[in-house]
Amino acid sequence: MAGLGIGVLALPALAAAQSNFTPKDEAPEDFPDAPGREDAFYACSACHGFTLVAAQGMSRARWDDTIDFMVRQHKMPPLAEKDRAVVLDYLARAFPERAPARGFQNPFLKQ
Amino acid sequence: MTHKIERSLVELYADDPERADAVVLGRDTGPSRRGFLEGAGLAAFGALAGSAVPFAANVPAGFVPAALAQGAPPPPAAPPSGPRAPQPLNFPGKDPRLVVLGERPLVAETPESLLDDDTTPTDKFFIRNNGQIPETASNPGAWKITVDGEVQKKLELTLGDLKKRFKPVTQRMVLECGGNGRSFFSPPARGNQWTNGGVGCARWTGVRLADVLKAAGLKPSAQYTGHYGSDPSLSGEPNRPSISRGVPIKKALDPNNLIVWAINGKDLPLIHGYPVRLIVPGWPGSISSKWLTRIWVRDKVHDGPGMGGTSYRVTINPMVPGDKPDDKNFRDLESMPVRSIVTSPANGATMPPGTRELKVRGAAWGGDHAIKAVQVSIDYGASWQPAQMAKPTSRYDWVRWTAAVKLPSEGYYEIWSRATDERGVSQPHVAGNWNPQGYGANPLHRVAVRVA
Repeated sequence: MAGLGIGVLALPALAAAQSNFTPKDEAPEDFPDAPGREDAFYACSACHGFTLVAAQGMSRARWDDTIDFMVRQHKMPPLAEKDRAVVLDYLARAFPERAPARGFQNPFLKQ
Repeated sequence: MTHKIERSLVELYADDPERADAVVLGRDTGPSRRGFLEGAGLAAFGALAGSAVPFAANVPAGFVPAALAQGAPPPPAAPPSGPRAPQPLNFPGKDPRLVVLGERPLVAETPESLLDDDTTPTDKFFIRNNGQIPETASNPGAWKITVDGEVQKKLELTLGDLKKRFKPVTQRMVLECGGNGRSFFSPPARGNQWTNGGVGCARWTGVRLADVLKAAGLKPSAQYTGHYGSDPSLSGEPNRPSISRGVPIKKALDPNNLIVWAINGKDLPLIHGYPVRLIVPGWPGSISSKWLTRIWVRDKVHDGPGMGGTSYRVTINPMVPGDKPDDKNFRDLESMPVRSIVTSPANGATMPPGTRELKVRGAAWGGDHAIKAVQVSIDYGASWQPAQMAKPTSRYDWVRWTAAVKLPSEGYYEIWSRATDERGVSQPHVAGNWNPQGYGANPLHRVAVRVA
């Protein structure tokens, strides 16, 4: 399955041609495995790194609001209803609302 | 066995901090949201932190003890594939210790302990992009900036013209990302998860934006500016700005706003906007367009990408954290909030046994507002002592500060710093006024050290 057909343009190559910095390639397999992973990966990474997506933790309702935001503010092509449900299911399951992951980090517990 | 306890504790605190306090530490926080540790609870707290925790009884309820404020529990779908360890930056001319928050777009923050210089060296200056990095200008002197819209005379100035026609100035000023501090929000707000490192204070050389606007002649209809850079949008769509934000004319005419070509006495590196960029200090960094090509003077509030909605905006009436936002309840984030950081010692420093005094250094700044005081605490805010502040070199410079704190015993300490601006507004203990994209989080800074 090649995602939803909107994100398959290989844009990282374009970015690489224009600067002296090449973002690392990302693949769906780099992220938590659950149904809808490829769809979510290609829907989001058409424009920005999926690592940014994976750094978020939100409820399904907030992920839903985030897709609205991407469509409204960042010109993301709207997803068909069925595809949107698949993407949302994945995002809400793989990156659910959680305690802050950065913020203050205790330095001693890791030892 | 210990590992298992820690994991479940983190989950417990993530789930319901007050209940976690009751279960784990045997304290009832009650309606006052305080509650003190006694007997077994104190011992349990110390055991969790891995060493003695002086002043543990002062830690507020639900304020996840430093020792427990680790990462989040794994998602139910599957554990995250990679470790959460900071990813170092690999970029020519930049310090590898900057922490990468994203590569597309490239975003990297400066850990607080790397902000220990009075003037932030260019290699340590944080990186924020909204689009792709443009190609290096082959003929920088011919780089053109257009000033148009509500002006008497449209200007097309080359960088060469700019240097010739206007008086150059150099000022040390803070540039700060609008989302700085975002990672302190709970629940997590959407966007790059900055700690306190979306900031730097460098010496900028350029000409005053106000002088350029006056040369164009503002019409009475001039209300707002809209700033444009040449960075291509992330989607690669041509003629779509990656971002375009602006300010009300009153702010635009502030003499501290500069159109700059140099940082710390040298040409801007490409990643910081070569050959020319804006610096609009005190307000979100996204206004300070890199690779500046155009200033459009508007007869209404600018409406480029990055204006309106919930972007770079905070609530009018406070909202329930995590709720669905109502776009009508938002206003632009203008001045950045008051903030202080401890730049030395670094979080995680271990001092030799017997250490009883510690020299602490840091910085404080407050957007449009001068800093009135900086205080430090080693007992979780139960008591505070004043820090000594150096005089800032310009209105938008940061305040460097120092303090010597006494440590009464061996063990685990947290150094907290708190700044207060000229209006009497201080940093809160926790990030407040939650908003979906996470602006304005400025809780006091916590640094943990150990004498052992």
